[in-house]
Amino acid sequence: MRKKGIMLIVAAVMALMTAVLAGCGGGPKQQSSGSGSGGAAKSGNKLVIYTSMKESLIGGIVKGFKAKYPDIEVDYQSAGAGKLMAKIAAERQSGKILADVIWTSEVPDFYSMKSENILEPYTPSNIKELLNPFDDYDGSFTAARLGTLGVIINTDKIKEAPTTWSDIYTKPEYKNAFGIADPALSGTSYMSVALLEQKYGWDYFQKLHEAGARIGKGSGQVIDDTSVGELSACLGVDYITNSKIAKGAHLKMCYMNEPNALLMVPSPVAIFKGSQHMDAAKKFVDYLLSAEAQQMVADAGTVPVRSDVKQDPKHGLPTPEDALKNGIKVKYTEILPEKENTIKKFTEIIGKK
Amino acid sequence: MSSPANKKGSFGVAQVILFLSIAILVIVVAFPVLLILFNAFWVEDHFDLANTISILKQPMTYEALTNSLIIASMSTIGSTIVGTFFAWLVTRTDIPYHNFMKSMFLVPFMLPSFIGAIAWKMLLSPNAGLINRFFMDHLGFDGPIFNIYSYYGISAVEVMYLFPFVFIQVCGALERMDPTLEESARISGAGLLTITRKITIPLVMPSILSGALLIMLYSMAHFGTVAVLGIERGIYNIPVLIYERIHQSGGSFESIRMGAILATVLVISAAIIIWAQRKILSTGHYQIIGGKSFRPTQLKLRGLRIPLMLFCFAYIGFTIVLPTVIIFLVGGLSTYGLPFTPENLSLANYKFILFDFDVTRDAIFNSVTLGFTAAVITMFAGVMISYVIVKMKVRGKGILEFLGMLPFSVPGSVIALGVILAWSGQFGINLYNTVWIILVAYIARYMAFSLKANSAALEQIHDSLIEAARACGATMWQSLKDIVLPLAKPGMLAAFFLIFLPSLRELTVSIMLYAPTTRTIGVAIYTLNEDGETVISCALAGIALIIIVLGQFIINHFNKKAGV
Repeated sequence: MRKKGIMLIVAAVMALMTAVLAGCGGGPKQQSSGSGSGGAAKSGNKLVIYTSMKESLIGGIVKGFKAKYPDIEVDYQSAGAGKLMAKIAAERQSGKILADVIWTSEVPDFYSMKSENILEPYTPSNIKELLNPFDDYDGSFTAARLGTLGVIINTDKIKEAPTTWSDIYTKPEYKNAFGIADPALSGTSYMSVALLEQKYGWDYFQKLHEAGARIGKGSGQVIDDTSVGELSACLGVDYITNSKIAKGAHLKMCYMNEPNALLMVPSPVAIFKGSQHMDAAKKFVDYLLSAEAQQMVADAGTVPVRSDVKQDPKHGLPTPEDALKNGIKVKYTEILPEKENTIKKFTEIIGKK
Repeated sequence: MSSPANKKGSFGVAQVILFLSIAILVIVVAFPVLLILFNAFWVEDHFDLANTISILKQPMTYEALTNSLIIASMSTIGSTIVGTFFAWLVTRTDIPYHNFMKSMFLVPFMLPSFIGAIAWKMLLSPNAGLINRFFMDHLGFDGPIFNIYSYYGISAVEVMYLFPFVFIQVCGALERMDPTLEESARISGAGLLTITRKITIPLVMPSILSGALLIMLYSMAHFGTVAVLGIERGIYNIPVLIYERIHQSGGSFESIRMGAILATVLVISAAIIIWAQRKILSTGHYQIIGGKSFRPTQLKLRGLRIPLMLFCFAYIGFTIVLPTVIIFLVGGLSTYGLPFTPENLSLANYKFILFDFDVTRDAIFNSVTLGFTAAVITMFAGVMISYVIVKMKVRGKGILEFLGMLPFSVPGSVIALGVILAWSGQFGINLYNTVWIILVAYIARYMAFSLKANSAALEQIHDSLIEAARACGATMWQSLKDIVLPLAKPGMLAAFFLIFLPSLRELTVSIMLYAPTTRTIGVAIYTLNEDGETVISCALAGIALIIIVLGQFIINHFNKKAGV
């Protein structure tokens, strides 16, 4: 009797643990999606996209893709580029990358993935119609957007738009009130730090530090901090700013009037080797680069890679050709090995107390 | 010394329970953590201490450790004072509305501290914080009255959200305490001070300490508040440093290793804290349920009754109502930064996240089911393991206790890392990208809560009760079923709440483990906030708060019905 009772508890606990560990059916819930594990579960036609694009951009594009290919199931994960790469690293260690497509703004990551041979070369069918920022293009990844960054000002706090990069440390209204997103979290922020360093050297950041510039968090959050007035201005990404301006935020995006001083960061898209949905992945890349999707890119308030789409003048964005021409030039393969040092140095200079 | 449970014959059963307890902890907890340690010291098939030491020598590591200690100490001291004071106030004095206050003081426990930090950032950031602005614009102050981006700010926010750990424990102890002890002291002529010093404090000390220990461990390994309030001013603790390092280098194996090394620093700190706690507790051991019926006497506050009541209400208003209101208001704005005027406020964001936004809808469903399942499993496993630790005198149970405390001291992100290393196919089971891996991680992470709550309850069951039952001829099972389990029920229920509610807004573990379809509420709120979707994330935070409070309400209702 007593043994039976104890054994009952024991058995119950055991059963619970087994249920958990084995992940067997009959549990409280399993997402309807095919789990990516082991390939045993039917993963069906589900295409997985990892992207650093925010909801306001990727949401519409995926919706459009689904409308065009109703029989392809798509899911996407939107997070900072750093986070996604951490996830991919963990997935690689466990043997299988669960994403089929990756689309972020951290160009060096694509070069390193290419050299690690985990990208499937694919030249999109519509390549001839696209503007290509990469001199060494070989199909491993293709730019799907020419993102720009500028100085975002809070129009209640700053009346006169800045015109040169030196305004930020010479003019008093930016003192202790200028923010840059954490380059460890945000790919665009890292790229713009690398570009500004290329153009103006570390001296520029030293001057920013003396003017009290701060490290913020994600690329979107510095813009919200500017919008609420905690910061007066920040380094910000085009479409995130424009989506907030559209909702009434008191913000303005300013580009500097200096030759070849535009922060232009291409956002490449690539397919992973060994993708289970190669066909769907290729269809997605083609769609992303089509006039239809690139129109959405333009409408979201950023620069497309096609010159045949309409740009709304209210965004005040450069044309794709101008973005390509005026962007600060950089050899991606050269800055690649410096990435960790760049972030470290930036953090040391700006974060110094 | 040996307890009847072990002595009277049931050798086989005891062994099975012990074996099973160890097996659960090893599989769920120790194995992933060991994999982390393995990855911390093992470089490409050989033991490499030099590399490990070179990372530990970096000044950033020192600074992070110092910051962790400063913040954790300040938060622990603050929370212990606040928690003990309020617990005493609502259980042992005649303060009005004490039941209402008691439930209000438990509210912060439900509130995710990173949401609190977001709210306080909105209220007290130096340039734009609403309170600071009010003082600067209307009362003629030159600068902000309080800068939330500071050690004080971070600790203050942690105190607000962590003090219930002490409060809940001390309340329980004070309510269960046999008042005849105090009465007899009073009859013998002892003054209030002497009674408090010699009777009350020693009796509740184990509860205070175990609550303080929870806070210390929690705060050392706490990511959210420091991440929200510290990073921008260069204040980071070890968990934040780990998070930054892992993301900084695009998640190279090297940085995952580095994170693992930093995590071992925390594991060691935790071991020291646990050792210190056991040292303190072993000096006095009290069983305070005597098995008699009793009713604690209440202290008459007299003239202080109303001022103290007003103080409590002001505290509740300032630390609970105000941030909550801010979250809901910001959640109603069309975009962050606009003033709270009727034309800027609407329910559009709430409608969007509940009906139109797949991400947030999935997140709510996932968190509720995950939290419930994890809580139930961990509650049962916890009571069994606690029984071994507290009531069975077997060798090696210290290891068991340490195993159970382990995940609590390791930052969630590192547990998650360990879980990924352990359960993504290399050892035959692949749970990666499913909800199950988050569930396993939750169980590992919350086991400590369950063990603490259950062993606190079991510790207070005097052996004499079991002995009496056994002497009257009850079998071991009967004494367990009729005496231990009913008395342990409050502990088990406490364990359930301690797991279910926090897991509803769990962040650090799930952020590393979520897949496209397995986002949790915490993940959704944090990523939306980090992405600069402040208003959407506040709206989701508001919805989450409603769900959590509703959940608590339902649970309380059931408890009342069950007569607990």
